[in-house]
Amino acid sequence: MGALLTEAFITSLVFGAITAGVPLLLAGLGEQISEKSGVLNIGIEGMMLMGAYCGFAAAYYSGSFWAGFLFGGLGGAAVAVLMAVFCVRFGMNQIVIGIALTLGVEGLTALLHFFQFSRTYPRLGESGALRIPLLSDIPVLGSALFAHHPLVYLAVAVVFALGWVFRSTFIGFNLEAAGNKPSALDAAGVSVIATRVYAVLSTGFLAGIGGAYMANVGAGLFIPFMTGGAGFIGIVLAMLARGRPLWVLFGALLFGASLALTTALQVAGLNIPTDVVQMLPFAMVMLVLVIFGRHSYLPPALGHPYVRGER
Amino acid sequence: MNRKMVSKKLFASGALMAVAIFSMASMTSAAEVKKLAILVPEQGTDFGWNQQGVDAARIVAEKYGLEFLPAEGLGYGDVRPTLRELAEEGASLMIGHASGYNTAAPEIAKETGVPVAIVDQPDALEKGLVTDYTLSGHEGAYLAGRMAARMSRSGTLGVVVSGEPPSWNSQSAGFAIGAKAEKSDIKIIYAVIGPAAYADAAGGRRVTESVISAGADIVFGQGNGSSFGMIGAVETTKAVDGGNVWFIDVIGDKSSIDKGHLLSSVMWNMVPVYSAMVEDLKAGKFGTKHYKIGLADNSVQLLKTAHIPDDIWGDMTTLRQDIIDGKIAVDQVSDAQAVRKLMSSVEAGE
Repeated sequence: MGALLTEAFITSLVFGAITAGVPLLLAGLGEQISEKSGVLNIGIEGMMLMGAYCGFAAAYYSGSFWAGFLFGGLGGAAVAVLMAVFCVRFGMNQIVIGIALTLGVEGLTALLHFFQFSRTYPRLGESGALRIPLLSDIPVLGSALFAHHPLVYLAVAVVFALGWVFRSTFIGFNLEAAGNKPSALDAAGVSVIATRVYAVLSTGFLAGIGGAYMANVGAGLFIPFMTGGAGFIGIVLAMLARGRPLWVLFGALLFGASLALTTALQVAGLNIPTDVVQMLPFAMVMLVLVIFGRHSYLPPALGHPYVRGER
Repeated sequence: MNRKMVSKKLFASGALMAVAIFSMASMTSAAEVKKLAILVPEQGTDFGWNQQGVDAARIVAEKYGLEFLPAEGLGYGDVRPTLRELAEEGASLMIGHASGYNTAAPEIAKETGVPVAIVDQPDALEKGLVTDYTLSGHEGAYLAGRMAARMSRSGTLGVVVSGEPPSWNSQSAGFAIGAKAEKSDIKIIYAVIGPAAYADAAGGRRVTESVISAGADIVFGQGNGSSFGMIGAVETTKAVDGGNVWFIDVIGDKSSIDKGHLLSSVMWNMVPVYSAMVEDLKAGKFGTKHYKIGLADNSVQLLKTAHIPDDIWGDMTTLRQDIIDGKIAVDQVSDAQAVRKLMSSVEAGE
């Protein structure tokens, strides 16, 4: 076992944990915006998957990872437009529409993949890492923590930016009012519908970038159904985080670390059933849910369409 | 109640019983086979499990002059609606080509009377209705293990799987048995991506990168879509010694999309299996036996690539013949716990 604990192996595990955590982080942050505004965005899984497809296609044809992330975000936002129209504008059931969108996107992206990539399965090369001077030279963990694609650092920056937006700007207050007491926001002259639409579109954009990161950096290719429930993990993270972006970051990293730990436990030699090992990330989330979930923050108007004058 | 009425009732109940007995008998007797359906979770273009299944079913349909009804990309959820649709379209046999379908398919078979074939549930046989084709390429995997042990520079091999169904377990075991038969001190690192991470390409890449960084320079990978993530990992990650990492695939042939890392593949040909099913259906023997693939009839083959040195390939050809002749017996180990015990990365508790 000890022979396996080499610098290369530990670096790979930690690097893998962050790579696995970033899509969850972006999805969780996006979901947090939606939920703050009162929209339970179950369709985030579909938004991630569309982002993964569009992001990969854009990166593959343009040769630019940044173009991939941009189009991934736009792909996710395109699915979010449907969510906004059906759920925010027409007040339809958010859970039903969210599930329908996810299923629809699964079918659509599988079909597009079939026509475009299924005979060749193109793969992208290395995404290119930005090594942070000095920090990336720290032995063992330096290159695992501080030598990632620049999008990883941007995602962390979004955490703090979002925290500031929620705490200190009118946008944050409007979002909170749309989720807590939409009629009050309406009475103040701010459109609840518009606030929620922008929130849902932001969710789609962030989730789409998360999906694109998963496809382009995490896998290096697109495969149908590849998000495998990451969007739903993002929803759990957003709910556990009680409206605080920093908690989403911790949750995403915890989940990513748990995934890496499952590999480490298998490789390092514990003779326990793989099923038990594989439960670890989910058990970890459930444990956190039990400990902190009692106080999880859910806006009172979450899931309810806003109709002016209706009590 | 008068005598006339009693006799009428007796006649009616007798007729009903006769109809029931006749319909039960017809379910187990010879059937006319007109349409062959196959259901697969991903598109039949994955150079692996799905493609081999769809291609084989298509070939068998052409061979017997049957109408072919493929249902591809169904995912891993509930396929009952699709099964009902195919039954309504007149399918004579529905092949549920995913272990995730082995609950729904027998249910629909009983509901519609259309026979189904399922995988990974050998005890589910039901005459005339349900058959199982849990296939195993363990003999081919044994050869792959022997070849990998010969070619490894580091003395460490990796086995990465996206799940632990019986078919894959037996191949993982066959690979390990073969590798240890070649070099008893070979190290084998075994890692499962997830409980059913068949489409988890990112997970496949992440886990394979870790296995390579732990010393493996040849990776035996079993996955559907996730195997492309494994290939991505061997293409972008150097072995610990800085050299090339080789990949050994299963079921299909990915040579056409290889970028110089595909060492071989344990290839399956399911045409003999599906042909036997159609024959059995016609003969009224459907659901009475299991189906196998193996080296003897070339339904299991080791893919030859240009990366395999001639002398090693020659030795593999000899070993193949030894297995066919019974000189070498390769155990079929399908239990996940037993598979893990064969791997040298699992040390504690042994």
